[in-house]
Amino acid sequence: MLEVINVSYTYPSGDTALKNVSLKISDGELVAIMGPNGAGKSTLVKHFNGLLKPSKGKVLVDGVNTTNMTVAELSRKVGFVFQNADHQLFAETVEKEIEFTLKNLGLHENLEELKVKALEDFDLIKYRDKSPFSLSGGERKRVALASVLCANPKTIILDEPTAGQDLVQKNNLLELIRRFHSEGKTVVIVSHDVEFIVDINPRIITLVNGEILCDGDVQDVLANKMILEYSSLTPAQITEFAWRICEELKPLPNNIITVDQLIEALKTHIIGGSL
Amino acid sequence: MSFNIFEAFKYRRKKTFIHSLDPRTKLALAIGVSALSIIFTELIILLIIFISLIPLLIIAKSIKEWTGTVKGLTLLIVFILFVNIVFNGLSFAVSMVLRIFSLITAFSLFFLTVHPDELSQALIQMKVPFSFAFAMSMAIRYVPTIAREAQTIREAQMSRGLELEKGGFTQKIKNFIPIIIPLIVSSIRRAVSIAESLESRGFGAYSNRTYLLPLKMKKRDYIVLITLLAAIIISVIIKFVVGLPPLLLLSIPF
Repeated sequence: MLEVINVSYTYPSGDTALKNVSLKISDGELVAIMGPNGAGKSTLVKHFNGLLKPSKGKVLVDGVNTTNMTVAELSRKVGFVFQNADHQLFAETVEKEIEFTLKNLGLHENLEELKVKALEDFDLIKYRDKSPFSLSGGERKRVALASVLCANPKTIILDEPTAGQDLVQKNNLLELIRRFHSEGKTVVIVSHDVEFIVDINPRIITLVNGEILCDGDVQDVLANKMILEYSSLTPAQITEFAWRICEELKPLPNNIITVDQLIEALKTHIIGGSL
Repeated sequence: MSFNIFEAFKYRRKKTFIHSLDPRTKLALAIGVSALSIIFTELIILLIIFISLIPLLIIAKSIKEWTGTVKGLTLLIVFILFVNIVFNGLSFAVSMVLRIFSLITAFSLFFLTVHPDELSQALIQMKVPFSFAFAMSMAIRYVPTIAREAQTIREAQMSRGLELEKGGFTQKIKNFIPIIIPLIVSSIRRAVSIAESLESRGFGAYSNRTYLLPLKMKKRDYIVLITLLAAIIISVIIKFVVGLPPLLLLSIPF
């Protein structure tokens, strides 16, 4: 469980990135944090594994205040995957990359077991002896994911996971996130990618100027014109399409977010009604 | 370890007497002051050099940035002090700290008040080939970017349980490998893409370039340069020809 209680954060440069933010994320929840650049999304999630400590207020991870805990201690519970895989990879082989994390976190006893599991989970067995730098972008992303998630943390934070990823890789990520969720893990995703988030169907928290603008499900947030505008998010194509149809054909509901919903609405309101 | 020291070397746009000087004058000033503080090892003289730099910082309205630089370098200063006390005694150690202070002050004054573009323009007018001058100003331009990247990499590796402060001396150095390697790799990748984008914007298409704002030495530049030159000449004569008066040889007596 992650609890953020009246947290404000001011960078040493004097910029205030979070203003009195409070929220609670329960175990097993799937949450997306969305909002414009500079809204404080990364600043917020960096509090979850202790990379940042609140200037005011407190952050509790499983009821324990993060102020007196090191990042290394918190990393066993909270795995944080950074946006750019190239900021993590340095070892000679993929295998050593994973061992690095496990050794750092003191997981020597079942190191071999955890390592093989991570290699299998991320489909990296055949690359285990290869240099991470020789792999493609998508493969490097998988190594970066494996190198954090090998420690089997209860909570997973993904910062902009779809940035620079192609469709195949996005679908792989989608599948992975669904799997983590079904395993009962808490997953927190920072993203602007509305289409991707619609597919995941998480609880959505939008941040604007360091404050929470809204907190709700996909339907509440991503089909709401005003919230999307304030959060500088582009509506999903299907939502935009439905809005445009709404303008022409009044009876269509204005909160459509998936293809299935649109088809359903078209059936009942147009085809069913007039034909 | 903090990467903020680089921030404190970054140019700030301000309107002061020092900012309005020609970059070549400021370069001469930085090099001249450094030369003086290296020629002398005497405590009193190094103190005079250091103290005489403080008014310049005040005129340039850069005291705050300078304090930041010094704070970032505390570890280095303490190290110099400690090693010199052990091997050469307190008096010499204090002198060496004053020397490093003078060097830091001279160069931070230079980088805080000279825009990278001005620097490259100055180098070009000093007959340095354009591509070298350009590389120089690019290098300065990218210091804060790389510092920020180093910070991100550090956070990414800390999230994998890396503890920089852990272990003995050699282990502590080894702890930096997971930061240094990604930093080098991404810097090389960036360099390649910058080179490509430069070429696609016609970099080096003509060998003779014209410049929008050629630098011109003004009266104030000559005044500063003459003062500097006089200070150097007088110091050298006193040091090597006349000999230092006993008052300036005073040191801490233990």
